Amino acid sequence: MTLKQYSAARLVVTIVIAMIFARSIVLNNFIVPIAALAISVLALFYLRSRVSDVIADERDYLAGGKAALLAIQVYSWLAVVVMLVLYANRAVNPAYEPIATTLAFSTCVLMLLYSLLFRYHEKFRFSDKKLMYGIFAALLFIVVAIFGIRLLSGEDGWICQNGQWVRHGNPSFPAPTVECK
Amino acid sequence: MQNRIKELRTMLNITQEELAKKAGVRRETIVYLEQGKYNPSLMLAHDVAVALRTTVDKLFTFDD
Repeated sequence: MTLKQYSAARLVVTIVIAMIFARSIVLNNFIVPIAALAISVLALFYLRSRVSDVIADERDYLAGGKAALLAIQVYSWLAVVVMLVLYANRAVNPAYEPIATTLAFSTCVLMLLYSLLFRYHEKFRFSDKKLMYGIFAALLFIVVAIFGIRLLSGEDGWICQNGQWVRHGNPSFPAPTVECK
Repeated sequence: MQNRIKELRTMLNITQEELAKKAGVRRETIVYLEQGKYNPSLMLAHDVAVALRTTVDKLFTFDD
């Protein structure tokens, strides 16, 4: 199989997956897209192994690393600015706050993940204690994920019910000042 | 850094595509190497040198 044929196959798979996802969201079905995604990943792995040409070389990996770093920086800056704007306007619409929190935590997780992976490739990859560092990183990630999920779960906040703001859980902030409709 | 990749490739009468295949890289990488726009890793420099039946020190020269 040539690289062009593989690229065409990959494009077809992507389009089919997008169609399945779109349809599944409409039908509220989550099993079909997950199954389709798993099958497509396996199919692409198989097709990739059949390609005789070089798919990527050291120049691509170098460019990929630089592009990834830039993408993380751009995303982080944008997320921080949008987060600040949304937090500043949370009185206008209470829905802004969870969006801002999600942005803040997604940025933190992204930067933490980048730092861990960078440290691994820069230093630990060459170490004899790879397994120990791997377990530590996995534990750290789990702790941060649990902490993040707890904060993002929306347990503590204000809910608009029958024209009044009703306390839900134990919110650390006062009820929104805008009218509850 | 200068290199003699194009010169030796022409002498051996092989295409950029063939050299790329022998060195295990994409053709575009050979193009950039020949134009001196990309500095290869030591491993790639070695693979290209082997593909052109020469050595790294004869293939690449430094302007110092």
